[in-house]
Amino acid sequence: MKKRPIYPFAALVGQENMQLALLLNVINPGLSGVLIRGEKGTAKSTAVRALADILPEIAVFADDPYQLNPDTEAETWRSLRQAAGLPADETLPAVERRKVRVVELPVGATEDRVVGTLDLEQALKAGEKRVEPGILAQAHRNILYVDEVNLLDDHVVDVLLDSAAMGVNTIEREGISFSHPARFTLVGTMNPEEGELRPQLLDRFGLCVTIEGLTQVDDRVAIMERRAAFDTDAESFAAGWQEQSAGIAQKIVAARALYPQVEAPRELLFTIARTCLDVGVDGHRGDIIMLKCAKTLAALAGRKEANEADVHRAAELVLPHRLRRQPLMEIARSVQDARQHNLQQQTARGVQA
Amino acid sequence: MQERPYPIFPFAAVIGQDSLRQALLLTAINPRIGGVLIRGEKGTAKSTLVRGLAALLPEITVTAGCPFACAPGEQQLCPHCAGKTNKVAAPLVRQRRAAFVDLPLNATEDRLAGGIDFPRSLKEGQIVFAPGLLASAHRGLLYVDEVNLLDDHLVDLILDAAASGENRVEREGISFSHPARFTLVGTMNPEEGELRPQLLDRFGLCVEVRGESDPEKRVRLLELRENFDANPRVFIARYQQESEALASQIARGREILPAVRLPDSLRRFIGELCQENNVAGHRADLVLEQAVCALAALQERTRVSIADVQTLAPLVLLHRRREAQPPPPPPPQEQEEHEEQDEQNRPEEEENKADDRQADREDGREEGKSPEAPAQRPGESAGQEDEAEQQEQQGEAQEDQSQSSQAPAPPGQEAQQEQVFAIGATFTVKPLSARKDRLLRRGSGRRSRTRIAQKKGRYVKSSTRFNADLALDATLRAAAPHQKSRRQGNGQGLAVQLTPADLRGKIREKRIGNLLLFVVDASGSMGARGRMAASKGAVMSLLLDAYRKRDKVAMISFRKNEAVLNLPPTTSVDLAGKLLADMPVGGRTPLSAALARCHQELRNHLIKNPGAQPIVILLSDGKGNVALGEQTPQDEALLLAATLAQHNPATFIVVDTEEPGLVTFGLACKLAAAMQAQYCKIDELKAKALVNIIQEHTV
Repeated sequence: MKKRPIYPFAALVGQENMQLALLLNVINPGLSGVLIRGEKGTAKSTAVRALADILPEIAVFADDPYQLNPDTEAETWRSLRQAAGLPADETLPAVERRKVRVVELPVGATEDRVVGTLDLEQALKAGEKRVEPGILAQAHRNILYVDEVNLLDDHVVDVLLDSAAMGVNTIEREGISFSHPARFTLVGTMNPEEGELRPQLLDRFGLCVTIEGLTQVDDRVAIMERRAAFDTDAESFAAGWQEQSAGIAQKIVAARALYPQVEAPRELLFTIARTCLDVGVDGHRGDIIMLKCAKTLAALAGRKEANEADVHRAAELVLPHRLRRQPLMEIARSVQDARQHNLQQQTARGVQA
Repeated sequence: MQERPYPIFPFAAVIGQDSLRQALLLTAINPRIGGVLIRGEKGTAKSTLVRGLAALLPEITVTAGCPFACAPGEQQLCPHCAGKTNKVAAPLVRQRRAAFVDLPLNATEDRLAGGIDFPRSLKEGQIVFAPGLLASAHRGLLYVDEVNLLDDHLVDLILDAAASGENRVEREGISFSHPARFTLVGTMNPEEGELRPQLLDRFGLCVEVRGESDPEKRVRLLELRENFDANPRVFIARYQQESEALASQIARGREILPAVRLPDSLRRFIGELCQENNVAGHRADLVLEQAVCALAALQERTRVSIADVQTLAPLVLLHRRREAQPPPPPPPQEQEEHEEQDEQNRPEEEENKADDRQADREDGREEGKSPEAPAQRPGESAGQEDEAEQQEQQGEAQEDQSQSSQAPAPPGQEAQQEQVFAIGATFTVKPLSARKDRLLRRGSGRRSRTRIAQKKGRYVKSSTRFNADLALDATLRAAAPHQKSRRQGNGQGLAVQLTPADLRGKIREKRIGNLLLFVVDASGSMGARGRMAASKGAVMSLLLDAYRKRDKVAMISFRKNEAVLNLPPTTSVDLAGKLLADMPVGGRTPLSAALARCHQELRNHLIKNPGAQPIVILLSDGKGNVALGEQTPQDEALLLAATLAQHNPATFIVVDTEEPGLVTFGLACKLAAAMQAQYCKIDELKAKALVNIIQEHTV
């Protein structure tokens, strides 16, 4: 049976910010993920799936649960086999090419499914310690889509974002000590009405976009028309958008190749630093991501130098979720201050007495 | 052990964070300092620096093949080496870098402390101990990112090992101990909750970090980071020389350290410093002594100077300082303090002045009644005090009105009385939790201890119910009697033959969050004498506590003629806080309606989440004066309260907001009795901390 085509990326209407954020992340996974905040039914998952569909194919070893890259990660493959107690034979397995996958993390996912766990059957039957890879292994070099990330157990989110930041998943549980590469494009969605993410976790998402239903009647009509056309005859609808989708794919490939050459002039770095200081974000992650984002924007536009406009655009994507939130508690600045405070209290008490 | 598969940003290339950098170098030189706790904002190179340090640690000599990294010739050997030394004259040794062990948040107890070696136990037919992360960290560094989020039982394990230098495992049929002396480095973001004082004290040094505010430095940092990301290998190579210089500085420091002398006068100075800062116990003195010696060694001096002590004192004392034990202030005065604070951030002061004329009429009566009023009249800061006074009287007036008039007040007047009080002072809340039972639950959070249906938490016992969480010790015990008869069957080279009937699962316990349902009295009687501000302060404190314990919260407020669900159950504590700040006060007290509404909400929640243990917190003075039916409001409320408690498996807490004084009604107390609830006053909600950590008090 032939697979039903996926709704084409080029045929999406509106939500330019979300589309842009997704594009930037597949061009430069160093942006460490997009958080999409918004209502239901705003083409979030459609966009992610459509994007995966047009991405260039990747090469993998056949039947490799860790999706390693045959070109650069052959050594890792051997060491993983060894660590798993399998014979690390000289011959590498056959290489095949396949599409980038969208790996979904369900809300009810438990931690052992996410990071991987001991293969119990193997352990009981053969007395062998073998790792059963989890969702993070599947996600390596793919897109990890986490719906309702704010409803996920806190510790699962912690693990997820840690792996996303380090590019490595480390398992330390049930007698296993094991780590494997896990570099993926992280896309999380949430509805803010259901509760916020902790600021700590928010900060780890590189970009953040807020989306809402379109308000222009024309746009809404266009969505309905296209959706109806897609539902009646998906094949020919997809074929009609083929050319545009290919164009976007080409842009992605070109931008990826161009990115390492993109330069940012020093004045621009000052603009970034000053913006972050003025806005008052915690730490330096905002600065770093903003620079990367601006450079990726330049690469997407086919330029070798980032400019002011890129920085301003980047700020819109990078800073909204980093604005300093009211800290819940303050700590003493220095012993000196605290001592003075103490002394004052003591004298105050003395006066009363 | 696998090599780290990712490149590490070099320690030498980190910009700024000088005091953190220094603290880390000092612990590397002298492990007896007892580790570093790093507090600070997100994204300030905390983890980067610690990981970078690992690459600089000097090499150590270990006994070859020893899983616990014993030093040859050491007094206290691990069981592995102790068995061998008798036979072999000189054990083989080899050099390797001191270990850097990263404790992931998802680590389980058996991986941390060590547990049963699964395959070997099955193959060899006897329980074999598999060393955990504490063993790997011996003579090295144990790094705990977000140490304040780690499960309590794991924290206890680490604490115990760090204190005794030994890891003792008595669990799952294992009885084993091995040396575990390591340097503990933890990071935390104080917004996510504080560490327990015991653990806080365990860290030798505490460093605050924050982002750079100088644009020039920020830019420099950006450039370095970009260079690193573009080509990590080249970048690391470029800093090779500086890294080596640092590494040799550490190595030299370690050599010099034993020769460093601390003059007696400085030892006395350290003692005085600790005394002056009121630290608990003597660890601060000892740590500071070790730290200054390390600093001298780092700078290749053999004599400690007074400047060393002054540089390092803040790092040692900051997290250990306590308030000098204050005499408990007399209650009326404390009340006054609350109000002053409220006054300062009350926007509608001006509006209230209009009502002052009316309030003034009560003035005489008021002054006669309350003994503290004349005493503070001649106070210094007249303006503010007066304001407070007026506020107080106005509140009193309202209260009198609502008390004296059981009959409904005219609606117009009611609307006029409506006001919004600011949130009063917040405090650390004493631990509140639901009762423990035998139900299995799922979830995260840190409030009530419960049995849990997830592979998390502490293994307390085993059961025949097998749920993919294998309890090997129990399974082996169950299989043991059958081994002889099964031996004939299929071999597979295992010493132990298992069948599905032998399998035993683990029962685990862990803390999880609860639903906190706040039922807040917002009637006119609450507006009196800053009571609403104090109550709001109490609710806010509970909300902050709920945030840290990852609870869900919901809020019902009642005033005038109805009870309203202001906030359906949500994890968004922010939202609850916002609603609380805007909550108006005024009108009568429909206590019965609130109880009915509370029942309805509880039932909804329990239908959706069977087995949940909501905690209901009712803040009221219990002076209900609006009935739903024919009965008197008081009788009806008591009846409803009893019914509510009977039908809902929730934990009830009644917080009495009635003013302590000569005439009290004690209605909330009666209500609590009817509900079988815990009863307390606002002040009794406060945690009785043994150590009042200073940061909670300084503004």
